[in-house]
Amino acid sequence: MISGKKMDRRTVLKAGVAALGSSLSGISWGQSANNTLTMGVISQQTGTFAYAGELVLKGAQLAIEERQGSILGNKINLVVRDDEGKPAVGVRRLTEAISSNQLRYFIGNFSSAVGLAELEVARQEKVLQFAAGGSEDFTGSRCSPYTFQWSAHAYTALRATLEYVSKTMPEKKKIYTITADYAFGQSLLHYTQVAAKELGLELVGNANHPSGERQFTQYITKALSARPDIICLLTAGADAVSAIRQFNSFGVKTVQIVGPWTLEVEQMRELSPAMRSGMILGLNYYQDIDTPLNKSFVERYLKVNKNVPSYAAAYGYDAMRTLFLAMEKAQSVDADSVLKTLEGMQYDSIFGPTRIDARTHQVLRPYYVVQCKEANAMKNEFDLASIVSMGEKPQPIELNECKRTA
Amino acid sequence: MISLLAAQLLNGLAIGMIYALTAFGLSIIKGLLNVPNFAHGAFYALGAYVCFSALQLGMPFALALLLSFVVPALLGAVVEKLGVAQLMNGSYLYQLLFLFGIALILEQLIIIIWGTVGLSAMPPEWLQGAFDLGFTWIPKYLVFNGIMAALIIATVWVLIERTRLGSQIRAGIDKREMAQCLGLDVSRLVTAGFALGSGLAGMSGGLVLPLLGANSTMGAEMLSIAFVVLVIGGLGSLYGALAAGILVGVIQSVSSVFVPSASTVLIYVAMVATLMIRPQGLFGER
Repeated sequence: MISGKKMDRRTVLKAGVAALGSSLSGISWGQSANNTLTMGVISQQTGTFAYAGELVLKGAQLAIEERQGSILGNKINLVVRDDEGKPAVGVRRLTEAISSNQLRYFIGNFSSAVGLAELEVARQEKVLQFAAGGSEDFTGSRCSPYTFQWSAHAYTALRATLEYVSKTMPEKKKIYTITADYAFGQSLLHYTQVAAKELGLELVGNANHPSGERQFTQYITKALSARPDIICLLTAGADAVSAIRQFNSFGVKTVQIVGPWTLEVEQMRELSPAMRSGMILGLNYYQDIDTPLNKSFVERYLKVNKNVPSYAAAYGYDAMRTLFLAMEKAQSVDADSVLKTLEGMQYDSIFGPTRIDARTHQVLRPYYVVQCKEANAMKNEFDLASIVSMGEKPQPIELNECKRTA
Repeated sequence: MISLLAAQLLNGLAIGMIYALTAFGLSIIKGLLNVPNFAHGAFYALGAYVCFSALQLGMPFALALLLSFVVPALLGAVVEKLGVAQLMNGSYLYQLLFLFGIALILEQLIIIIWGTVGLSAMPPEWLQGAFDLGFTWIPKYLVFNGIMAALIIATVWVLIERTRLGSQIRAGIDKREMAQCLGLDVSRLVTAGFALGSGLAGMSGGLVLPLLGANSTMGAEMLSIAFVVLVIGGLGSLYGALAAGILVGVIQSVSSVFVPSASTVLIYVAMVATLMIRPQGLFGER
């Protein structure tokens, strides 16, 4: 409201032009004239991994609700696109959201394959991507100025998991690996070899399996014939669940099953407690992380969704929250300003003090090692495992293939 | 190397028996209706879920397995009587689409009742652990699976080859019109055959539950393998399914250890090769 002092027409016109000028300077892609900022969640809403897409969205929504739906005076318009877990669909939906909705930020993707395909669109269109998934390429050979990686690096994951095994079971030295025969599995295998060498563990063999394999007895018999102390499952999702079920049917108690990036909470629930108890798993996130921010996140998530958050939900929440923190710090919603702020940013996340590598855009955060509980040790249906260790050793710089300079 | 190959042959044989059992049921229905049953995978999944629920209720494993046959068999009878039979006079496509629709409905019903999170069940205590054969280990439950599948196939063989009902079903499969002319109630036979085939699919699902678990997509996964087995064995041959099931199991088991990246595609290569060299399948008649 203009004050009671009478203004002449010229003054009003000047004020109008000044206001228009200042608002125009603030307009960027994704921020329309009526101060709406379009952000996206691009993930699987249908298909086999539909559960993950839904959880990423729930996490992201919680972060937006925390901000009462706006940031720096801009109303947040959240657009959701279903990529069906397919790279080509992901690229199409992202391109469409950029052209139709002026999308400039997106959380995506839970799947490395889809996320890497979207990375190229983000680079061309100068859209800021906060990705997840197990591929090291996001921060390695395909690192991009517009892509940040929320999930821990495969090296951090393997080093944390095998370090725990080597400390607590020093008599177990011989490892046999069962590996998913695609980029994710092979990347884990590479870093298993690196970490095993660092920790003085011996790799006695490896069996590759195709994606979507449901029959694992043949790989297990082959593995057992090498007489290992540890079978390290470098596979994930439904394949890993089948492998563990069938390993269980052998009744072998002397071989320790270790899954550095194998099961998330959703898949742990697919196994009966007898099948999973004692298993050592590496996780990007577990609900028991003892930080004030995580406790408050878990409490609110549980209240809204009647379930505890898992990796996918934590990714949606924490990545979206990090973007808001960077916008606040930059005092801008312009993607390029936010991007520069994110590079090297130190902040408090659900993991505690966290930093983003300025060159590779890898979020440097801990990776958690949990041991699955027996049925009678579970306090409630959510209490599947306990955190036994954590590690945050970053990928050695000589192993990183990112060509960017900070 | 030889011991590894022997281990994989044994493993493949046990897995192949399960494929054979599933394809056997599909073969019966295909023979009776001359329509590929696209709902067969859904009946297989239903069997696994029924078995899981029965075990959860504290029923013994044998009873749970029996229910994994009975429930899909009854549902199969209803689907045939109220749906497939009504479309008998229409185009072949209507039956095909109807069965496809039933598969989708069943898959969604399974998700509504049991949820999207997969389920697991332990084998009975006496079937836990593995046999140490010196050169390899083989899980007791996998051996049990193979033996059970062989026994079920043998029982159905006796039913089909040595009983009056069986001879009528065979007549219905081989010479439908002639059987009708001789006064056989072919529609009743078709319902019984559909129920039997669906029940066998369900029982396969129940049998594999401790090994593969239960999840909403398991039906589609098994259906594609069952069709491969059916094509290799011969579309008109009941017993071709048995040999082809074992063959597919062995190909999968051996190749996944020696050429893992090709193991999935190899069974389809075997199917295409069969179609090109012997289109009627290994045991089918031209």
